[in-house]
Parts: sequence; structure tokens; C-alpha cells
Amino acid sequence: MKKIETEVLVIGGGATGTGVARDLAMRGFNTVLVEKGDLTHGTTGRYHGLLHSGARYVVKDPQAALECIQENVILRKIMPQCIEDTGGFFVLTEWDDPDYAEKFFSACQTTGIPVEEISVSQMLKEEPLLNPKIRRCFRVPDASADSFFGAELNAESARQHGAEILNYHQVMHLIPEAKRPDHQMSSSPSPQRVAGALCHDLVRDEQVAILADLTINAAGAWVGQIAQTIGFNIPIIGGKGTMLAVNHRIVNTVINRCKMPSDGDILVPVHTVAVIGTTDVPVQDPDRYSIEPWEVRLCLEEGEKLIPGFKYMRMLRAWAGVRPLYKETESTGTRDITRAFVLLDHAERDGVEALVSITSGKWTTYRKMAEATVDLACRKLNVQRPCKTHEEVLPSREGHIAYYQLGHRLREIEREKAYGKIICECELATRQDIEQSILQGKARSLDDIRRKVRLGMGPCQGGFCTYRAIGILHEIATQNIPPVSHERPWMPDPNLALRDFLQERWKGLLPVLWGQQLRQERFNQFIYLYLLNADQLPGPRRSLISPTNYALAEGGQAQSAPEYSLESIKSSGDIPISHATPVDVLVVGAGLAGLVAAWQLARRDRQVRVVAKGWGSNHWGTGCIDILGKHPTNQDHFVKNPGEALLRLTRTEPLHPYSLAGLEAIENAIQDFLSLCLDAGYPFKGSLGSNWLLPTALGVPRQTCLAPETMTAGDLRNNDPMLILGLEGYHDFYPTLIADNLATQGFQAKGVLISLPSLKKRNFINPTILAELFDSQAIIEELCLAAKSHLKGAKRVGVPAVLGLRHARVNQQQMEAMLGLPVFEIPALPPSIPGIRLHNLLADTIHSLHSSIHNGAAASGAIYSSNRVKAITTLAAQRNLLHAAEAFVLATGGILGGGFTTSYTGYAHDTVLGLSLQISPEQTSWHNLEFIHPEGHPVHRAGFDVDRSFRLLSHRGNTRLENVYAIGSALGHYDGIPERSFEGVALVSGHFIGSRI
Amino acid sequence: MEQFNVYIPVENTLDQCLKCNICTSVCPVAAVTDLFPGPKYTAPQAGRFRHPGEPTADISVDYCSGCRVCNQACPTGVKIAEMNARARAAIVQQGKVPLLRRIRNNIIARSETVGKVGQPIAPLANFVLNLRPARWLAEAVLGIGRQAPLPRFAKECFTTWFAHHTPQNKSISDVVYFHGCSSEYFEPHVGRAAIRVLERNGFRVIVPRQNCCGLPLLSNGEFPAARAYHSRNVAYLREYASAGIPIVGTSTSCTLTLKEEASDLLDMHDPDARRVSEQTFDINEFLLNALANGQLQPGEYPISLDLIYHAPCQYRAHRLGYPALEILKLIPGLSVNNSRADCCGIAGTYGIKVEKFHIAMAVGKSLFEQVKETGAPLAICDSETCRWHIAKATGVPCVHPIELLAVSYGFEPEGSLKTVLAQ
Repeated sequence: MKKIETEVLVIGGGATGTGVARDLAMRGFNTVLVEKGDLTHGTTGRYHGLLHSGARYVVKDPQAALECIQENVILRKIMPQCIEDTGGFFVLTEWDDPDYAEKFFSACQTTGIPVEEISVSQMLKEEPLLNPKIRRCFRVPDASADSFFGAELNAESARQHGAEILNYHQVMHLIPEAKRPDHQMSSSPSPQRVAGALCHDLVRDEQVAILADLTINAAGAWVGQIAQTIGFNIPIIGGKGTMLAVNHRIVNTVINRCKMPSDGDILVPVHTVAVIGTTDVPVQDPDRYSIEPWEVRLCLEEGEKLIPGFKYMRMLRAWAGVRPLYKETESTGTRDITRAFVLLDHAERDGVEALVSITSGKWTTYRKMAEATVDLACRKLNVQRPCKTHEEVLPSREGHIAYYQLGHRLREIEREKAYGKIICECELATRQDIEQSILQGKARSLDDIRRKVRLGMGPCQGGFCTYRAIGILHEIATQNIPPVSHERPWMPDPNLALRDFLQERWKGLLPVLWGQQLRQERFNQFIYLYLLNADQLPGPRRSLISPTNYALAEGGQAQSAPEYSLESIKSSGDIPISHATPVDVLVVGAGLAGLVAAWQLARRDRQVRVVAKGWGSNHWGTGCIDILGKHPTNQDHFVKNPGEALLRLTRTEPLHPYSLAGLEAIENAIQDFLSLCLDAGYPFKGSLGSNWLLPTALGVPRQTCLAPETMTAGDLRNNDPMLILGLEGYHDFYPTLIADNLATQGFQAKGVLISLPSLKKRNFINPTILAELFDSQAIIEELCLAAKSHLKGAKRVGVPAVLGLRHARVNQQQMEAMLGLPVFEIPALPPSIPGIRLHNLLADTIHSLHSSIHNGAAASGAIYSSNRVKAITTLAAQRNLLHAAEAFVLATGGILGGGFTTSYTGYAHDTVLGLSLQISPEQTSWHNLEFIHPEGHPVHRAGFDVDRSFRLLSHRGNTRLENVYAIGSALGHYDGIPERSFEGVALVSGHFIGSRI
Repeated sequence: MEQFNVYIPVENTLDQCLKCNICTSVCPVAAVTDLFPGPKYTAPQAGRFRHPGEPTADISVDYCSGCRVCNQACPTGVKIAEMNARARAAIVQQGKVPLLRRIRNNIIARSETVGKVGQPIAPLANFVLNLRPARWLAEAVLGIGRQAPLPRFAKECFTTWFAHHTPQNKSISDVVYFHGCSSEYFEPHVGRAAIRVLERNGFRVIVPRQNCCGLPLLSNGEFPAARAYHSRNVAYLREYASAGIPIVGTSTSCTLTLKEEASDLLDMHDPDARRVSEQTFDINEFLLNALANGQLQPGEYPISLDLIYHAPCQYRAHRLGYPALEILKLIPGLSVNNSRADCCGIAGTYGIKVEKFHIAMAVGKSLFEQVKETGAPLAICDSETCRWHIAKATGVPCVHPIELLAVSYGFEPEGSLKTVLAQ
């Protein structure tokens, strides 16, 4: 077993632990720190982001307030790069006691906290979104702080002074040692001395014994668990606090309610988000707690008091951390326990030598806590070394050291024109950032990378960057890049890293999945579970360092959804209108379903118009037509013969859109579609007799029924060896990852990254640019020449799906002629070039049949009488545009397409007519706990009920709108993503409607 | 209860973004130049990093042409072009635009001033503006592209003609005509066609005092100046708006500005400004409404030509579809193809600038090829700057739809339409 000997062992890598380690190391002690996860894995990484001025406690706990303001000044000096000088407001709302404001003001002055009252109009100038009914406003030196960065810098400083920091080392138990013979025997039954700790290295899965003269238990909420390992108790209550992040910085100043501190009364701008919090709920086990719907509600309601309209804003994420509160005496709620920190010398308290515990306190005072702890350590070790942590500035990567500024990253990217190097686009993290955090920062998981460079912390919550990051991870792992540290680099398994990170993001999204964030997550499901087939990735599903979910929440507020009735249709009655020319049929939605319906209608000489808010999921998908990949109720088996599977489906799922349309309609739709594409010079191949098996950009096979000829040479049902080519600078495609994953599953594949000089000189590359380069013949020769040397042994060549928008087939044939081998494309992250080809093909056909497609036309309501809709209106500049028609087709795409929207109340409705949807109002039932789940998530099975003509029905199967139809993802009783029927249902239902109405 | 279609301030619409990249895939500018990283980057993405109290971080947003193709393609309703316009205004306000460039921007953005100075000396001004050395100098000193399409000053202002014009029809109701700088100083024949069509259909046309709508200033980030122009227009037009008299324009940029762009970008939502917005109509839109009420005369005289129509990107920003195509259907014998191109490239004053002219040409390339390929003697387009750009790039003259309708009503054609029809 590995053994490490040192002077002082610090348990816990949060703010306190790293602060202690730094102080120890600066005072010359040999120090080792162990942390069971990544630094700040515990409470420090889940906190509000607030550097207190102390004003919050100035009335209730003046001592704590004084400590805060003193440390505030010190931290600004030693770690400005972790702090954004936002300033803070204390606002007196109509819900707050005016007397408190007076007490507050004078107490600030007495305590020495700089305070200034400003006028409400000045406050609104600085923060225009604040509630204009706020009565008074006080400015204080609050600031926003990055606790990840702070702990990292403390650890770095500790390292620079000789300490060793060991992440992913979990303490199994403290090592007891009997008292030395020359000391008195203690009467306590517990062991008399702590010699160190036995740890489990979670990454290498081996044990490590760390022996030290003194052990400092800085495990925060877990100090009690550590003490328990040798049989004594520390009465620690966990005070769980839940917080929500708003999608963007709606305020640039810390906003506090001017009242006695309580739940949900602070809003902090941190980096690119604003965080509202927090609650305070006692928990027994710091590893098991849930985020309750009432907590989320509370945060929303309290936020609404500060900022009108807050409840409807997009909430990005929820998380909870457990405050450690030391409970020496009885008290009512956890908030009443003093927040001053607690330093315990276990020799005095429990008769255990060589162990001290430090816990409680708040982030703002971490340095002071560390100072007090190390002072005690000095006394116990009989040395006198002064603290210098308040004087020495923490290390910095940049030249000068200054406050963090929000625009910093944007400025850097602009200055270097590094647009093409961005991996996490939401948070502007570049490829270099990520490589550094893997090579130098020793990231063990994507979550570790996230803490360092904010990967996945933006609006899309890892939608794009998760894939890119593991591609980079894989490249580094297989390229033998020399590591910076001397230790053998351990590389996380990319497939597992992807699963883990998606799950880690998911766990914080579940409590806030409604509205736009739900739509975002559906988009992410589309990418990972449909485009990339991540659920089929080979390799282990979990490891010792995989994330743990929050415990199950108790349940939401029961609230019955309003019945679907005609009265609830959004009436466009009074809004001024302009007229569009009346048509026979108005199709709402320009995804595959809408365009197919319009094409069929136009073919039959019906006057049809398509209106759409924007473009649809064609632009995101694979560009293939998946009819059925998995049977809805038999999740383990993939469908090899869709025709057979459909027969079974129509018998077992009578309400499924395929069952409503019937097998003959499915056949007809496919035949017509194949003819259309053939005539357009972009032929598809396939039939209901069998599914293709094509590779995804993760190197996993996926079933599809109809595929364009530009892809079919990649069929994995034959095992011809393939060469996969990637393009350097194009971040959405990783050939070696694809090839390795394919090889693991028994397919013969080799991957190679090609560097093309003409791409190198560009500032950025994206699929549209690449497609244009292929179409204009600018790149084909260069690529084929570069690929020539790698062709040995390959019988076919795979490229990213960018073969061109206008001449894809011709470009493919040209490449095949030059390489002498079949060529196939592999769809990657959106925007999808093959998908856009399909869109263009259908749009061109529709226009050639003298019908039109209006985009930028968001539906805004309807004019109706009795059971018929007479017209639908769309938003135009300054008024609505009225589209009168005989019939209306809703091809609005469900939650992904924006046809349905949901809110925090659990209410869901369609965005065209305003009809309510049958969804359980209990949001906890909308999703499974696992992001990757074979059945998908129940909420996406919700949709319109229709009869056998696809006409709208009410839940009870009666009230119908005679002339309104629904098709595609807007339909209920199926979910196209887990069953891999996304395009199929769109094609079939669109064709069915288009052929009949 | 839910808030359907509630007004959300421009920057807050970035919350709608799914990062799906559709906007970047359709952006005509990002497709042809490396200097513009794309609408997703410059609006919803960079928007989360912009802080009112910090110096502007990004300059690349200046390459946004404001064509709004992104807005129209965005499935979630992010107001991308508006966010870019406001970010650009911040750049200007913080003094990040080099002085000479800023002078140039202010010259080309003040079309009314340019008109007032140049029109009285039209023959001389036109001569000088066509002189190669003069254009070289303008490019070298000010940065006005020497090949950029500049209009010709008209011999007589539109309002001068209108002052002496007597309507020939009886009128049933009133309508205000907003001529804009183009009809007033450069193409009064477009204004004349509009007046004639309106009067033929029973409208009495009022041309009140008005000034430039301010759009070029908005597009160049000169917000205080734009606000002054728009406020004055609101003051001139509000009594007509309050009386329910529609305000009709032939320039799609002017009408879009009056309808929505000025109020969105400048946050001007007072009751007067709103009333003016609510009463503003594009002429095709207005005529189509009349048609729906049975009050529009169809064309009488045929125009037997096969022509191509280009909907200006700013026109599609009205979100009315293609009303011009519907109006042109009223002309017997006329067959019109929709170009379906996203943007001709000029984007108002954008393509006139030397550093952006090549972008304007690259963006419009496929449209120009299409126009030349059809062999049509004329192209049709509602926006003046687009007409000048297309005509210069293709050699094919370009007219406003209303000119064709006026001819079909029996009025004499003018300008290039006259030349073409005479053949």
C-alpha cells in the first residue's frame, strides 16, 4: 500500500481546506491535502457567489458582520482576480419593515461598513429591471466571487510553497494510535491519538495511507462523518440551501432585501448568470438531499419581488449545498445557529490528540478561519510562525492582477480573433483552455474541466461542448502529448466522461425544466440521444467518480390543468391586422412535417401557404428518414425490419400516429418521397424491409430507414474497413474517437485528422462554410490529395456531412473518383448540412408549385366561430397578418419546435391556438432521473389528440375543431426520439394530410 | 396566467436562444467573410458578456449588415439584429470608431442633408459623383467605396412636384404619404407613381412636413441623432395618426423604421410614437388591405413581360410575406418570378463603405447571377438602395412595384421603366 508521510494532513478541499493548506505551506509546514472529489466538490462549489460586505448581518449578528467587512477588504487585496467589484444594494421593498432600514443604516455605520443611501431613480438608472416600487436603496461594498477559482488559487499557492494536493482521495477512516506510554491514560474509550488517515484513491482505485503529526479536519459538512470513523461525535447540522441561476445577468449589482436575513432574499450576478437564493432546510446526511419544488417556487416568488417578471424568465439551473452548522445548544431553526466559525481542539474536547476540526463559517471569512486554525496548529506543534496569508497576493496566470470583469473573455477572443477556437460557445472557453485544464490541471472528468473554465455552464448546459470536449480528451489521450507534471497522466475514458457530464448537468436541470430550458434540454436530447446515439456508447456506465443524483423530491403542488376548450383559444380579435391573400390551406410550421404536407397539397393544386416562426428541425437532424428504430415498448431491441415492427406497433399502440395513418399510408409516403428526391437529383435509398446501420459522429451505429446516397456507403452491416477523415479546425467531428469506438464494437475503422492549408488561414470554420467550399470546388482536390497517404487498407472513406448544399452528389462522386473508393458522410452537430439540403429540396419544390413559405411569421392567435377556425394570425411589424383559409395544419413541432410551451406552474399549452395540453401538472413526473433513459422522458409523449383524419380532438375525444389538423411532433402518444421515428412520423403524417385535405 | 406574445426588451430575448446555429447557417455575411463570426456569436452569445459599465469588448459586431435574415430564421424569437444594432451603438458611443470613419458614416447616413445639399445643384453633383478621380478621392480620404452604387440627384424634388399637383379623382378617404429621402431627392417618379395609384383608388393624399426617418443613423449606431429625427417625425405625424389616417410609404426601410425599428432600438414607446407606428403601412400592404375590402382597382393595361422580383431583406422584416407579389398579380400579362435570395448585400449604407463593399458584392453574387440568367429586362424591388445596387451590379434596371401598377392604370412610365417599355 502506498504511504505518504508529512507534518500536517488537511482533510477537505473546499475554501477552508485549501485556505488552511496554503497558510500551512506558507508557514513552512510539510502539508498534504486530500479531497474526496475535485476541489470545491462540497459546499464551496455550490454556494451563492457572494463576497459579503457584512451588511446582511449587521443588525442580527454584528460580530459576524465585522468579520465580514474586515475579510472583504483583505480578500479584495489578495485575490482580486476571483472577485468582481459589483457593489451591492440593500433595497427596502413594500414587503419589508421600514424601521429595519433605519437600524440597518446606523448599524452599518457603527460597524464600519461603508454605506450610502441612493435615490430610487438612481437605483433604477443603474439597474433598470428592479421593482420600481422599491422605497429605499443603500449601496454597500458587496461583491461577487468565484469560489472555484479561489480554492484553485489557494491550492496553487500551497503547491508553490511545497504542499501536495490530492484530489479524488476519499478518507476511509482516520488512523488511530494508542497514546505514547509516557502520557497519562485517558478515561475516554475513543483512541487517544490520530496518526493520519487511510484514503481511497478513487481514480486509481488503490489505498493510500497518509501519516501526519497533526490532522486538520476541514471537511465542512462532513466533519462529523470523519470523526465518526474513530468513534466520536461532532454535532453538525446540515443546513441545505437551494439556489437558482437565471440564464443571464439580469442585474450587475448584488441585490439584497433590506430586512432580517431569511430565505430567497439575495440576487447575485456571478459571471454570466444571476443567482437567486437561498433556502435553509435541515438535513441529516450531507450526501443525501433533494431540491424540493417548494424551494424552487420560493426562489421564484422572492425574485419576483425584486424584479417584476422574474418568474417568467429562463431559469438555467438549480443546485443545493449543505452548510455545516455546529449545534452546541438547542435552537429553533438552522438560521438561528450562529454562523461564526467553529474551531475544535479534540484534545481538549474529546481527549483525542493530533486532531483539530474547523467547520461552519461563511466563504467570506475562509481566510480568517484558516488563520485561526493554523495558529492552533502551531501551538499544538510547539512552533511560532506568523500568518502571512493576508499580505501575499494569490498567484495569477496573467501579468497584472486586477478585479474580474464580465467582458474579459469576450475581449480576449476579439483581440486574438479566436472565433474559431471556441469549444464552449456559451461561456467562451477555448480549445486551449480545455487542453490546459486536462494537461496541467489534471482534470479527471468534464465536471472538473467545468469548474476551471466554465465548460457547460451556459444556456445550452453542455449541449455542444460536451461532445467537443470528449473529442479533445480522446485526441489528447491518444496522442502522447508530454504531460506537464512528472506523474503518469491518467486520462478519463471519453465515453464515460460524456455520460457522466450529461448526467451531472441533468441533475441540476431537473428542478427547473420548463419553458425555454425544457426546450433546450429537448434539443440536447435530440443531439445526444438521436443524432449521436450516446446511449449506445460502449464501455462502463459508471465509475467511482460518477456524479450522484439529488434524492427524489417530495412532489410538486397538485394543480389541475385547465380543460382544453374552445374558449381558451387566443383570440386575435382586437389586434390591428393587415390581410394576406386567403388560401385553401395554411400550414403552421416549416419542419419536415409541415413542408411535406405543403408539398403534397401543392401537388394537388391546392392553394397552400406555410408560415413559420423560423426554420425547423430539418436544420438540426441527420438528414435521413428514421421510420422506426426501436419498438416503443420493447426498448432493448433495435429494429432491423421496420415493416415487421410497424405491423406489431399498429396492433399494440392504437393511438400511435403510425397506427392512425395505417401501413398503406406509410408505404405511399415513402414511395412518393423517394421519387421526389430522385427527381431532384438527390436520391435516397431504403425500404421498409430493413434499416440501414450507419455510424454516428460518436462512432456508434444507428438505425435509419431512408438515407441519402451520400451516406449509404457507410453501412455497418458490411464490415469493409473504413478510413474516417476529420478536418483540423472543424470542432464538431473527431475521427479518431469515431474510429476507436467503432473498433471497440468490432467494426474495422481508422481515423485521421487532416490539416488543410486553406482552412488554416481562416478565422473560423463551420458546416455552412465547409459546404460552400465543397460546392465551389475549392477544397475537394486538396482534401483528396492529403488523404491519399492514409488510404492503405481502407475500402471506404467517411467524412463529416459537409459535402455541399447544392451539389452534394456530384461532389461525392468527384471525391470517389479521385480516391478510388466509396465515400460516405457522417452527420455531426447542428446545423445539419444534409438536413438543410432536405429543407431546400422541399422548399424549392413547394415554390415551383406556386406556393410560398413565410418565415419570421410567428402564429399569434386565431379567429374562429363555433367549431371552425376562420383565420390564423401571425405577428408582423406592429400588427398581425391575417391568414384566412379553409383548413389549418399545425405542424408546430411540440416542445422542441416551440409548438408547445410550458411554465413553472406546470401548465402547458400550444402556442398557436392557446389550447391547453394534457400533461400532469406535477413537474416531477415529467422526466426520469437519468438523462439517458431507454424510454425517454414522459413529458414528450404529450401532444395533440387527433382522430383518424388527424383532426384535433379534446382529451375526452369529443369537441373537435372541424378544420384544424395536427401532424409531426405536435402529436401525442409517441416520442420520436427514444423510438427513433422522428422524421418518419413527420413524413407519414404530413403526407397523409397533404394527400387528403 | 400566461403571457402570450408579451413585449420583451431586446436584450432579454437572448434568453430564447437554444444555441442551435440556424442563424449562423443562414447569415449571408458570415458565409462570405471571416470578419463576422456570425449572428449567434455577436448577439445572444456575446450579449451575456456585455456590461453597461465596461468598455465595449467586441468590434466584430460592426460587420453585421442588419439584414435580419437571422431573425426570420430563428425558431425561438431572439431579436438578433436589434441586439447587434444596439451593441454597435455602444461602440460608437464609446468612441471606438476611428474619426475619419465616423465622419464618413455621418455623411452617408444623413441622406436628407446630402439631398438638401446635392439636389439644388443636381447636374453638377451628379457629374462629380460619377467622376473617377472624385470617387478615388472619396474612397481614399473618407472610405466611400469607389465602386459603390450612389444614386443620382433628381432634377426636381418630389414635394416641389406635389405642391403643383392637382388630384384627378374624387376621394373617399385620406391617406398620408411618407416619401422618405429617396423619393424626395433621388427618385421622385416612385413617389409620383404612388400618388397616382392611391388617388385612382379614391384616396386623397396628404404630404405633411416630414424629415428623414433616421434609419441610416440607426444602422450606423448614431442613436442620439436618430432619436432627434424620429422625434420630429412623430411630432409632424401624430395628429394624422391620432385621427386614424394611415401613413403609407414606398420605401420599405422608412416604413419599417416608423413601424418598429426606431421604437425598438431607441426604446421610444410613448403614446404618440406608438400611434404613429400603428398607423404606418407599406404601400403594398396598404393596397392589399384595400383589395381585401373590395376597394382596389385591378390593373387595366397589360404589361407582357417576364420579370424577376427581389424582396429586400428589410421588407421581409415587416413579416408580411410577399405583398408586392400579390399586388403585381393584379397586372394583366405580367409574370413575376420570386428571386428568393436572402439579401442583395447593400444593406442600406453598409455596402457603400470601402471596407464592406466587397462583402456586399459577395453576398449579392447569387442574386446578380440569377437576375442576369433570367434575361429579364427589369428587376423589381421595393427598396431604393437595393435597386441601385442590383442595377449597378447587373446592368439590369430596377423598379419599384408601384411603378408597374401605375403604368397598368394607364399612367405614363418614367425613368428606366419608360426606356424598357418603349422597346
